[in-house]
Amino acid sequence: MINSFQNLQVYSFPEVSEITFNSIHKNYLKVIFFNTFLFFLLFFVGLTVAVYFDLFEEISEYVYLFYLGITFVFSSVLVIKFIGFKKRKYAIRDKDISYKCGIFFKSLTTVPFNRIQHIEIDEGPISRFFGLSSLNVFTAGDSSDDLEISGLLQEDALKIKEFISTKIDG
Amino acid sequence: MDNSFDFSEFSRQSKKGILIIYLNILFKILKAAWLLLFLFFQRFSKIPESTILYIYLGFAVFLLLIFVRAYLLFKNFQFKVIDNQFILKQGILKKTNTSISFDRIQNINFKQNLVQQALDVYQVNIETAGSNKTEISIKALPLQQANALKSQLTVKESHIVKDEDAVEEKPFLKIKPFELLKVSLTENHLQSLLLFVALLFGLFQQLGDVLNGLGKGEVIDSFIDENTSVFQENIILFIIISILILIIAVLTSFVRVFLFHFNLTVFIKKNAFEINQGLMTKKSIILKKEKIQHITISDNPIKKKLGISFITFKQAVSGKVNIKKDKLIKIVGCNKQQVLAVKEMLFNADKVDEFDNIHSDIYYKFRLYLWSSIIFIGINLLFYFTVDSVYAFLLNIILLPLFVIIVELKFKKTYYKFDEELLIVGSGVVETHVTYLPFFKVQNIKLNQSYFQERKNIADVVFQTASGKITIPCLSKELALRIYNLTLFKVEKSQQSWM
Repeated sequence: MINSFQNLQVYSFPEVSEITFNSIHKNYLKVIFFNTFLFFLLFFVGLTVAVYFDLFEEISEYVYLFYLGITFVFSSVLVIKFIGFKKRKYAIRDKDISYKCGIFFKSLTTVPFNRIQHIEIDEGPISRFFGLSSLNVFTAGDSSDDLEISGLLQEDALKIKEFISTKIDG
Repeated sequence: MDNSFDFSEFSRQSKKGILIIYLNILFKILKAAWLLLFLFFQRFSKIPESTILYIYLGFAVFLLLIFVRAYLLFKNFQFKVIDNQFILKQGILKKTNTSISFDRIQNINFKQNLVQQALDVYQVNIETAGSNKTEISIKALPLQQANALKSQLTVKESHIVKDEDAVEEKPFLKIKPFELLKVSLTENHLQSLLLFVALLFGLFQQLGDVLNGLGKGEVIDSFIDENTSVFQENIILFIIISILILIIAVLTSFVRVFLFHFNLTVFIKKNAFEINQGLMTKKSIILKKEKIQHITISDNPIKKKLGISFITFKQAVSGKVNIKKDKLIKIVGCNKQQVLAVKEMLFNADKVDEFDNIHSDIYYKFRLYLWSSIIFIGINLLFYFTVDSVYAFLLNIILLPLFVIIVELKFKKTYYKFDEELLIVGSGVVETHVTYLPFFKVQNIKLNQSYFQERKNIADVVFQTASGKITIPCLSKELALRIYNLTLFKVEKSQQSWM
């Protein structure tokens, strides 16, 4: 059997497995929690309004189960988001930028600098309050699958953007 | 370089362009409102004579207004070529100024629909790739002027232009109508059928919309109801309909292939392919070698017997626009030598082709079975809740082996192999697709791993190119990382431009 590998010359490969990844800023956890909280607040308010107007006549004695259910889902989502937050990591090397995330579905993306079309820095209202922004890197083609790193300190994001820009032009 | 026309000053299209723009607008309106017109003519006799005059007058004014619009569009459409840039001014009230530098031009294509053929003018499309949606089409230019424009826009690569006259004698590939017939009969009829159904569905919906507006929605609904009840009772009808569907499918692929690929001729030039094809709308495409991101060579069992396959060229697509069919350029009916010649021209594949195929991990088969059983259960649940008769479940006798065959075939046909420069990925179920991707064309790369894959120490690798994704499913983590690193290395080291 001819194996593809035997024909590979050995260069000094950029070894992705050996990079040290940086975590994103810990304040971003607050942003995530706040967003999740807002999302579930809607449910709680909705449920309370429904109870207030007596929409569950038939099953009114079981309403506490709904509250319990939502609380349970809310807390498990919080736990998952917390672990997920720990898994969000990025790394910048001389010639590329990488980002990994995911608990059950892990993914690792790397974009080489010389394929970058443009870079964007976005700030949501809540992120801005904590002084955080997200860095978007776009390549050619279907841009939905490019790289986005949320929860960087504003000055870090700017620095990275500067760094990449000089690398692209140089 | 062809200097027979001076493009340094603003110039307009040929005057015939007015007529073409006019008909274009008219056609668009007709397409949107044909049903209303149809209904109008149906009731024509019921309209009192005095109003008819006004209606005629209304039509006349309407047509005149469109003409004025067409004229103004024509008048305001001006372009020039200066300082390695193509500059276009257009718009009646909202003026737009577009300038495109030469190196962003991806393709310059000539097109001719029936009207343009009759008037002997060409539509010149200037395609660009990159982040913007700039796509320019000049509706009417005489051939000579069109050629001059093209050669001035490609001034940098003047050696190509020179070659154009020299190599034109013998086409690399020419498909005669009889061969095209062979191609069309061996097409993927299921796909054609789906296209046909989609077309029909669109028409049907339009019909429904209008009838609903007139309060006749129930007519269609009851028509459908009646027919479905007949459908359930009558097996003979079912068979007849199946045969009809089969005939329609074959006919659709026949029409489709002849419409798009009639008189397909391919010329090979030094750095480009020139492809001419089309029955109603003749298209001429210059496909530059470096703009091609990856190619796919496909065949199916019947095509294989006949020794023909088709090659799909994928070019870079612009920004957020969905992948248009136009950007996929297909050459149908290639024989083995021609496929080899195309491959040879684009990359050095001899060595890799010899390698053994590496198949995905067995987990991939497991995942495919998992997904298909979910679909299978879904279908059965649907039966359970919608159809009263138990006989519907008899369909499972066909469905079950079908799913097994699809999964087994798909697993068998999924493979990959690579050397330092080139990646080859096989896929397909009934058809076989082999995709050739040079590593340096990759835009970014992704490694996906679910929890179960992690336990088995395997991963999926997704290559994002400027013309879509290519995925290798379920390969061992170690291998995946090596391909990952190799790709990054190749991309980061490459001095070649990816387009």
